[in-house]
Amino acid sequence: MSARWKESVRTVAFMVVLSLVSITSVSALHLATAQRVNRNADLYLQRAVMEVADVTVPADAAAVSRWFAESVEAEPAGAPTRFRVRDAVTRDTVALAFKCRGRGLWGTITAVVGMAPDGRTFRQLRILDQNETPGLGARIGEPWFMRQTAGKRGPLKLVPEGTRSAQPNEIDAVTGATISSAAVRDMLNRLLDEAPFKEAAP
Amino acid sequence: MTAHKNWKLFKENLGTQNPVFVQVLGICSTLAVTNVVKNTVVMCLGLIFVTALSNLTVSLLRGVIPARVRMMAEVLIIACLVIIVDIYLKAYYPDISRQLGPYVGLIITNCIVMGHTEAVALTQPPTAAFVDGLAAGIGYSYVLLAIACVRELLGTGGLWGFNVLGGAWVNWAIMVMAPGGFFVLAVFIWIVKGCFLKPARKEKE
Repeated sequence: MSARWKESVRTVAFMVVLSLVSITSVSALHLATAQRVNRNADLYLQRAVMEVADVTVPADAAAVSRWFAESVEAEPAGAPTRFRVRDAVTRDTVALAFKCRGRGLWGTITAVVGMAPDGRTFRQLRILDQNETPGLGARIGEPWFMRQTAGKRGPLKLVPEGTRSAQPNEIDAVTGATISSAAVRDMLNRLLDEAPFKEAAP
Repeated sequence: MTAHKNWKLFKENLGTQNPVFVQVLGICSTLAVTNVVKNTVVMCLGLIFVTALSNLTVSLLRGVIPARVRMMAEVLIIACLVIIVDIYLKAYYPDISRQLGPYVGLIITNCIVMGHTEAVALTQPPTAAFVDGLAAGIGYSYVLLAIACVRELLGTGGLWGFNVLGGAWVNWAIMVMAPGGFFVLAVFIWIVKGCFLKPARKEKE
C-alpha cells in the first residue's frame, strides 16, 4: 500500500469517526431534552390561545396550563384545530381560536387565529412558527401586525403598511414582504371558507 | 513562563487584538443581537462557551487532524458545540431562544470562532488555546454588552427590561433597529481607536 493511499484512508476514517462522535453527542442531548422542548411548545400554544382570547396571561406557567385545562376545549377533528374558550363560571363560549398553517416565502407559517364566538369576526392572531426573511417577512411576528386583525371581518384585503385602515376588511401589509403578508391574508381568508362555524354558537 | 504567555494572549484579545473593534470580526451578530441587553448576555455566554471549547477540542486533536480536512473537522466541532447551545436554550430558555432566532445557529459561521481555531488552536497546546478562546469570547462580549447597554437605554429607556430613564423619556426607535447598531458600533470603534489604540500602534512601528 502506498503512503498516499494510506493517508487517504486515514483522512476518511478520521472524518467518519469525528462525525459519529458529533452525531451521537448531539442526538443524545436532543433525546434527553425532547420532552422539555415539547412541553415548551405546548405552553407557547396555550399562551397564544390565551392572548387571542383576550385573557390576561399569568406569568406562572402552571397557571397557564391550569387555565387551558379548565377553560379550553380542543377540537382536533376539523382541518384547522379549533379551540373553544369557555367562561369559567357560565361555561358560555367567549372566544374561538384556530391553529392554522399557511405557505410563506421560505416555509410553513403556523399561527393561532382568534375569533369572536360568532365565528365571523377576527380577533388578534399570534404567529407560532415561521421562517420568513429576518427584517422583512419575519416582521409578520411584530405586535402591531398580529394585533391589527382584531375586529376585522373577512374576506380580507391588504393595504400598504402604515395605512392602519379602519375598514373592517383591510389589514396593513408589511412593506417589502408581499409574499409573507399575502400568506397571512390567505390563511385568514381560507379559515373563513373552511372552518365549521355553524355549530359555533353555544 | 507559560502562564505569562497565556496572560499575554488573554490581554491581547481584550485589547490590542480585540476581535470586534480591532479585527472587526463577528459584526453580523454584533448588529443583530445588541438591541436588548438580556439577549446579548445569552448570546455572549453561548459564544464564550463555543470559542473556548472549540479551541480546546481542536488543540487536543491537532496532532491527529489530517491537514487536508482540518477545516472540515473544525467546522464539524464548532457546529456540534453550537447545536448543543441551541438545544440547551430551546429546552431551558424557550423565550430567549425564540427571540435570538437564527443567530445562535449562526455562531457556527462567526469568523471569530473559525479564525481562532485556525490561527491559535492548530498550533498551540490545549491550555493556551483554551485561554485564547475564552479571552476572544470575553473580548467580543464586553464590546457587545457596552453597545447593548447604549442601545437598550436610548431605544427603550430601560435596562434589562426595567425602566431607568422614567416616563418622560422619548424612545429613539432607531436604536432598536439595525441602523442603531451600526451607529453605536462605529462610534465605539472611533472612540477606542482614537483614545486607546494609538500609542500601541506607534510602539509597533
